Amino acid sequence: MELTLAIHQVNDLRFGDSTYLDGSTLVVDRESLTNHLLEDPRLQSVDMDIANPGEACRIGVVFDIIEPRIKEPGAGSDYPGILGPIATAGQGTTHVLRGAAVTVVDEAAPLANNKIVEMSGPASEASPYSVLHHLAVVPHTDPNLERHIAQNTLRLASVKTSVFLAKTALDQSPNATEVFQSDGPIQAGRDGLPRVAYIGQIHSRQRVAEVDEQILYGANTAGMVPVMLHPNEWLDGGVVSGYQNMGVETYFYQNHPIINELYRWHREGKLTLVGTIATMAASDNEDRERNCMLASEMAKWNLAADGVVLTKYGGGAPHADMALTARLCEQSGIFTTVQVSDMSRDRQAESALLFNYPEVDAIVYVGGGDTSWDLPAVEKVVAGNPAMTAALEVAQGIPAGGICGVTSQQGISKLRCFVY
Amino acid sequence: MRVVHYLNQFFGGLGGEEFASAPPEVRDGAVGPGRLLERVLGQDSQVVKTVICGDNFAAENPDVLKEFVLKEVAACKADLFVAGPCFEAGRYGAAAGALCVDVSAEIGIPAVTGMAVENPGVDLYRQKLYIVDSGESVSAMEATLSKMAAIAAKLSVGQEMGAPTDDGYIPRGILRDGFVEKSAAERMVEMLYAKTQGAAFQSELTVTTFPSVPAPPPVIDISKARVAIVTDGGVVPQGNPDNIAHTAATTWGSYDISKKNDLKGEDYEVAHRGYDTRYVRQDPDRMVPVDVMRELESEGVVGKLHDQFISTSGLANPLANSRRLGQEIAQKLKDSGVDAVILTSA
Repeated sequence: MELTLAIHQVNDLRFGDSTYLDGSTLVVDRESLTNHLLEDPRLQSVDMDIANPGEACRIGVVFDIIEPRIKEPGAGSDYPGILGPIATAGQGTTHVLRGAAVTVVDEAAPLANNKIVEMSGPASEASPYSVLHHLAVVPHTDPNLERHIAQNTLRLASVKTSVFLAKTALDQSPNATEVFQSDGPIQAGRDGLPRVAYIGQIHSRQRVAEVDEQILYGANTAGMVPVMLHPNEWLDGGVVSGYQNMGVETYFYQNHPIINELYRWHREGKLTLVGTIATMAASDNEDRERNCMLASEMAKWNLAADGVVLTKYGGGAPHADMALTARLCEQSGIFTTVQVSDMSRDRQAESALLFNYPEVDAIVYVGGGDTSWDLPAVEKVVAGNPAMTAALEVAQGIPAGGICGVTSQQGISKLRCFVY
Repeated sequence: MRVVHYLNQFFGGLGGEEFASAPPEVRDGAVGPGRLLERVLGQDSQVVKTVICGDNFAAENPDVLKEFVLKEVAACKADLFVAGPCFEAGRYGAAAGALCVDVSAEIGIPAVTGMAVENPGVDLYRQKLYIVDSGESVSAMEATLSKMAAIAAKLSVGQEMGAPTDDGYIPRGILRDGFVEKSAAERMVEMLYAKTQGAAFQSELTVTTFPSVPAPPPVIDISKARVAIVTDGGVVPQGNPDNIAHTAATTWGSYDISKKNDLKGEDYEVAHRGYDTRYVRQDPDRMVPVDVMRELESEGVVGKLHDQFISTSGLANPLANSRRLGQEIAQKLKDSGVDAVILTSA
């Protein structure tokens, strides 16, 4: 399978009378985008604003962050199963507005969720999102809607905005192209290179997925067992973030740091990227053992992997399930590395891991437990309602995990824990 | 700095294993490695007293040795206590670690020691002390003492300690954040590649190994036993009267079931954020099986269901906290005459 990303660099974002891409300047007609979104009768109104890097601006509470993208006509479906019809993601050409982001605000989420984008100051330096040009979209849904229907409305608005913006790139020649090509498990001619796969959780059943929550090709993953995906399917809209998104945003599925890194080594001829497995953390023992077993079996018997990289989605149960999957892989002769988040509330290494498997011996440790910032007051806030604006605009302390991207579980984080 | 140095019989020059029962004695000035210690500490420092004690005596009479050392350290108004280095000598390491902890706690001066990572003193005291990694070979005496001196100098002026690999001490298991150049994804792939090539790699955390908990002796006759239900699944009466936290709980509660044959969903709630609680809220017997226990009680399979069940939330709890909760709960059960416990977990 081959995916070509046509990269159109965006260095400036502003509102204007029509929507177009002028060189690296993206101009958005607020009214036509608003009308486009309001075609969804579940929406009553939509606010939007722009946040550029370095601005004294804060956005929250974030529902999701997505990169503006559109498929080249005839190359496939945009966000298949959510916006477009079901079709294999990850092949043909996709146009990308690199440097831009659609950041959707959730008007009903409490501040306790701490999902903030900070565009300037010390906290911004730690987040990969602060260097992007954000179109912040604040959909206001019918207040009588059930919560999950309102969330589904936000999801649809997010992907519609992504495509609406990227459409401007269709008739333009890109600044660069990136090609993602792998024949998966049947990849030939690379004898002697380690065969490497990625096993990533995309949901945790500690929270029951909403009936209309769209995670994998529009499915909510309920009742699902692990499934194999081509790496390109993650990059091209086959997977989006679920609602619990603790350290997970769709932006870093589209720009998956681990898949990108595996591809880099693959291109350099150091390893062969043979595939990926998407799985779910469980909420009961049999589900846990079944999913972990099946994921490790796929890595062994379907992908014939020599090594796998594993990540989790969420907190403790996902952490334990990821570790069990890694252990089963190691026991079947597959080398593993896992990424854990900071679980230790007393800052003691003995409390840091929720597993005690000697086989799982290669651990990357994302920190966050003792990093926080005193955020200054800001001039501009993009929030869902006046109370949230008031809460966000003032100076306040915030933990690392409260700023989107800092304690990412998708592999982008540069904040790690050291044992002293 | 005025320094008191602790040595075992071997390094103190008394002799080998045949002197292991020697009681503590004190000498003026530096002895053996103490002379090297004095040199690496620099001109302003002086080993004023050296305490020498046999390893067996130290292991068998820790309180006597402690009292002896504390008295000497206090009497000479020392600014620093140094023990060893002990390399692989286990009894020596255990004594040195204990003395360093006691001196710094009770006299309030810095204390430093050195050992091989394998020394049993490391597992006992690494969390409380800076223990320099001496390696196994005594030939590293000078290098080890130099690192101990550098750590002592930092401790005595309250300077922040560097990373274990920079300052040469054995990790104490304290976590600290730091920003690094490479993303987690880059580090993961790099580490995995090294593993597939059989090359060396450095995990960012090592799995902590814990001693296994021995199983208690079996209940001799379960049909006469008083059995209690204990859960970390967070089941509590409506209103959560003890305010048990749903995450990292620091308390537990004990709830009367003496008149209940069955727990009803409307009477209970779940203080736990780590699992899908719908089914337990629907029927709390699924976590606290009072209904089944009553049946077993009436059939005479078990003697008696204890009048209370005990509950806490077992989510994301630091180990130190879990140990305390466990000890408190076990004590309460013992005091209540409970013979056996059914533990349920989320």
